[in-house]
Amino acid sequence: MGTGGLLSVNELAKRYGATVALQSLTMDVAPHEVHAILGENGAGKSTLVKILSGVVRANGGTMRLDGIEYIPHSIVDARRAGVSTAFQELSLLPNLTVAENLLLPNVSGGPFKMSRRGETVDAARQVLSKFNVTDIDPRSRVEDLSLAEKQRVEIVRAFSHEPRLLILDEPTAALPDTTWLFDQIRRLTETGVAILYISHRLGEVRELCQRATVLRNGVSTGTVDLEGINDDEIFRMMVGRAPEARFPGRTASIAERPVALEGRNLAAGRLHDVSFTLQQGAILGVAALEGQGQVELFRALAGLDPISGGTILVDGKPTAIASPQQAMAAGISYVPEERKIEGVFSGLSTAANVSLPKIMENSKAGFLTYAQDARAITEPAKAVELAERYFGFRMNDLSGGNQQKAVLARALMSDARCLVMFDPTRGVDVGTKQAIYNMMRAFADKGGAILVYSSELAELVNLCDACLVIYGGRIAAEVPRAELSEEHLLSAAHGHVDDAPLRVAS
Amino acid sequence: MSLEQDMDTSAGVDTRAASRFGSEAITIAVIFGLTIVLILGSRFISPAFGGWGQTETILFLSSFLVFCSFGQGLVILVRGLDLSIASMITLGGVLTTTWLAGSNEGLWYVVPAILVVSAAIGSISGFGVTMLRIPPFIMTLAMGIIIYSLCLGYTQGTPRGYPAPALADLMRAHFLGVPAPVILLLVFVAIAVVLQSWTVLGRRLYAVGNNPIAAHVSGLSTNKLTIGAYAISAMCAGFTGIALAAYANGATLRMGDDYLLPSIAAVVVGGSSILGGKGNFLGTVGGAILLTTLGTILAALGIEQGWKTIIEGAVILVALIILRESVYEAIRVWMGRSSTG
Repeated sequence: MGTGGLLSVNELAKRYGATVALQSLTMDVAPHEVHAILGENGAGKSTLVKILSGVVRANGGTMRLDGIEYIPHSIVDARRAGVSTAFQELSLLPNLTVAENLLLPNVSGGPFKMSRRGETVDAARQVLSKFNVTDIDPRSRVEDLSLAEKQRVEIVRAFSHEPRLLILDEPTAALPDTTWLFDQIRRLTETGVAILYISHRLGEVRELCQRATVLRNGVSTGTVDLEGINDDEIFRMMVGRAPEARFPGRTASIAERPVALEGRNLAAGRLHDVSFTLQQGAILGVAALEGQGQVELFRALAGLDPISGGTILVDGKPTAIASPQQAMAAGISYVPEERKIEGVFSGLSTAANVSLPKIMENSKAGFLTYAQDARAITEPAKAVELAERYFGFRMNDLSGGNQQKAVLARALMSDARCLVMFDPTRGVDVGTKQAIYNMMRAFADKGGAILVYSSELAELVNLCDACLVIYGGRIAAEVPRAELSEEHLLSAAHGHVDDAPLRVAS
Repeated sequence: MSLEQDMDTSAGVDTRAASRFGSEAITIAVIFGLTIVLILGSRFISPAFGGWGQTETILFLSSFLVFCSFGQGLVILVRGLDLSIASMITLGGVLTTTWLAGSNEGLWYVVPAILVVSAAIGSISGFGVTMLRIPPFIMTLAMGIIIYSLCLGYTQGTPRGYPAPALADLMRAHFLGVPAPVILLLVFVAIAVVLQSWTVLGRRLYAVGNNPIAAHVSGLSTNKLTIGAYAISAMCAGFTGIALAAYANGATLRMGDDYLLPSIAAVVVGGSSILGGKGNFLGTVGGAILLTTLGTILAALGIEQGWKTIIEGAVILVALIILRESVYEAIRVWMGRSSTG
């Protein structure tokens, strides 16, 4: 095994129950190096960060730091070994001051010793100025800072532990100006620190990093020298195919159909000036890396968050959608992102979960029976291949796949003409995926319209009639069916719009 | 349907029978069983106990707790807590005696008026909890203090007047040998069970309590439903106050105090989750009767108030420990095994 580098990782693996997050990752990182980790959403990048920083333990494989076996049990343990991390989901305590956050867990001399406020603030100010941050007051509370300021505090804290290996997980996600960060990174690497740099932004990676390890479906497909490889080759390494469900065939043409749902210059949160049209019988895909504004788009169409600008048109008529009730009244049904949090009533029966949108209509003057429930949901349950014997089960006792089928059946229950689905196949088994594809196809064939976001590009390529790519809150490209390919979508999702075959949206 | 593909991957693997809310049925059976054992067991204490007469008395006494526990249960179901129940009972009692002033005149509109006033007050609590995002604990505690103080001021410290004689007579009447209050209890329980378990409103309240975010996403008016639960709770407490005033033939400012904590205990002992979203009113009824039985027996034994309260507290804790989900799972697994093998 190679021990030339600072960190060497060999066949690292992590499973969560039946889910394989990381199958086999092999790489090594040398001192002075800025090493990039590249991969699609869900390729295993964050799992790697969690294992290296001591948040979770690996199930298999080995890690060596300077030749010594490295198995961190906690974040503090990892820090002691010389590995510190600036997390993507910032790990600062919002109710404490910047100074307290920077010095935790060493704010006081011991559990019974009072902390001296003045000393803490002075020490924190020194830390901040050491890394050239002068515009953040150590006395201010973290919750009062802007996102960019919080991100810098998070990064400074990781710097301040004087690591040998520094992990930066999407450090520029909230930084408008990267000059400060890149200067600090160069200064640190000169002293021999190795940096693991996780970013979706290939431009930055090329500017900063020497080598990159590419992950695909939890497997490292290789470490490359960034000098000798072009972007297309990198994208090809990132796009993978696992044993997949069969995609149902598509209808010949949807060109002449009337428009079911249209967005004109929509703005919401980080979403700017997004326009799209969705025809009856069409499946329109949305591809984007995490956090590009797709969540805002879908939540706005579902009536969960208000739009700050633009118009939503349903069947050609401008329609106000300010609440889920209004969305449903307009014939839009939403399949939420977080099944457990936004979708499932775990304590209710499957029948009650599915029948909810129409219980008043299906009741006899407000009275319900189990038989009525079961009868009312027969049709939608059949459409998603949800077996009838699960109707009486408590939702909690169902598998994730069957729960998702129930959530989809509920979306069909409300007689929607337009389905707005956010990553409907996330975390479900192949059989359920197949059922979902079939359901989507059948829904579109009957004249329904579907807007679907998926983190699996293969789904978008094979299911959709066209695909929008959102990058930085705007539509970066609109790819017609004939030009759909994973490489194109991925490259557009990274903000590359100059590639020849892509049509740049006006 | 256009879906005749042979892709039925889910069937054939899972052979569980639909265990439709088995744990709730077990809870109810266990609680009622315990109550019957307690009543029968009390024969050993005094030969006058353990018969139908004592059972009637216990049902009669527990009816007040059952009335207010229904509302408490609905509020807990939607992840709240109603601490204004004691004051609302007092309000119901005080309004009954002062507005009726010992006469049957106006009975037909005074009783509905009291229920409407109570519901309106409950709606205010619900409004504070939902629209103003005040924690239920604080909102209902404050509302309780305000209502109590209003009662205090309105009666100048001593509630006067009497309930309508018709009400008092009703509490003493018998139909077919059964005391009228026991019949009233049965009717109330029947209506409440149907409302909570077999209506659209009840189902929606379960949905809101089980997952408020999913309920919102699914298009339910979670705020209106929550306000409704608080209104019903206040109305039930007001109704309890009317019944208590009729039974005691008068009202006092402290008449509701003995019902606040027992109403919460009855709900929780009855198998509902204090965190909301789960529970069945029959369990609450069992919990209320069990607590009343225990209190009656301890009082009959002549145990001092201090010890009585200690024992009641201990029984509630033991009941909660025994009646856990994990225990039912174990019972279910064990029964499943013994029936198949």
